[in-house]
Amino acid sequence: MQADRALRVGIVGPVGSGKSHLIAALCRELAGECRVGVVTNDIYTTEDAEFLRSTGVLPADRISAVQTGGCPHTAIRDDIAANLEAVSELEAAAGPLDLVFVESGGDNLTAIFSPALADVQAFVIDVAAGDDIPRKGGPGIARADLLVINKTDLAPHVGADVELMVAESRRRRDPLPVHATSLRAPDGAAAVAGWVRERLAAFHAHGHLHSSAEGAPDHHHAHPH
Amino acid sequence: MDAERTLLAMVLADSRFPAGAHAHSLGLEQAVAGGLRAGDVPAFAAARLRLVAEADARVAVAARRGDTPLADLDEEWCARCPSPVLREAARRLGAQLLRSAASVFEGRRIPAYRATSRATPRPVALGVVAAAAGLDDEAVALLALYDDAATVTSAALKLLPLDPAVTTRWLAELAPAMALAARAVAADRRPVADQPAPAAVALELAATAHQRHKERLFAS
Repeated sequence: MQADRALRVGIVGPVGSGKSHLIAALCRELAGECRVGVVTNDIYTTEDAEFLRSTGVLPADRISAVQTGGCPHTAIRDDIAANLEAVSELEAAAGPLDLVFVESGGDNLTAIFSPALADVQAFVIDVAAGDDIPRKGGPGIARADLLVINKTDLAPHVGADVELMVAESRRRRDPLPVHATSLRAPDGAAAVAGWVRERLAAFHAHGHLHSSAEGAPDHHHAHPH
Repeated sequence: MDAERTLLAMVLADSRFPAGAHAHSLGLEQAVAGGLRAGDVPAFAAARLRLVAEADARVAVAARRGDTPLADLDEEWCARCPSPVLREAARRLGAQLLRSAASVFEGRRIPAYRATSRATPRPVALGVVAAAAGLDDEAVALLALYDDAATVTSAALKLLPLDPAVTTRWLAELAPAMALAARAVAADRRPVADQPAPAAVALELAATAHQRHKERLFAS
């Protein structure tokens, strides 16, 4: 069953964990094979959208900014009306898209996308914020479809133990995936891009996806998988 | 109104109704940038009620009554709001309200208006949604007035050092003025084109200045 809209991939995580850079790297990886758009949720005006436009990874009209009134977690979870409107407008203006990244403005560990907005979501943390972050947990670390532990190149400089972070993350999340990344490396986003490709293929095969953030998957559909 | 309809009015008035209003200050952010202080917020909200929200309420009530074509009401509202920045803010708020309300309430009027209107100004959208919820004229007018003032007092907490209990008291203190205005609007049976249409020119001009700010919390 072919979906009649773009797959919506939520990218969420604390301030400064590297969400915008990850999206820019993913756009570079995927631009040749599918039509990508981005909706950012900004704390202050359109800073994330402007950063992405400045990277030149996408045409400017494929990037749209939602203003959140200083409450990005509200705009991606409790009241998603502005984001759904923004995605619709982007798809209407830029033509059919295969994939829309929805970036949450930097928030704390409790932020998570509504499954009505993001079909799947990646939670991005970084080693510099402290290697006890996976142990602290929260819905993003425990239930996001993918956990990205970013900036591994900084680990020796900030005294962070990446292996410990990955191991504690796996303990909390098993069997959900964890990727340790450094976007400084030339193919730093390759593993995450692979996850996106695989989710996109599943979305096209089924016409929809079940996010792990929804809790226990409900497979009682009228249609066969 | 019976209890069920009163409850539906409460659902629509609740800030938890997902219509994206939390991203708007309705001009308060720019007013604060221009020197408005915490103690001025009640006067700002009251001025908006007199100059903006009451006119919006008249359009919302007309949309609920359904005796004027909605496309004509879109134009009437736009004629009352010359600022392209404020029209765009109202279009977004209207579109977001319609999107969520289409999932909440039955009937064909919400989808039909959503599909045909390009402007979707929030007051017209509110009247269409209120009709689907079965509200009467006075309830629609109260909703338009209350939503305006509550959006301002709620945004004030992010812009000024204020106690939320105090801003909520300010909102409650506006109740007599809102009730009076809602009764007057509901009792006015003239076509909306013949009804009073005040203007808040300073707010319209400030909206354009606000849009140019690089660092702001709110969309309006």
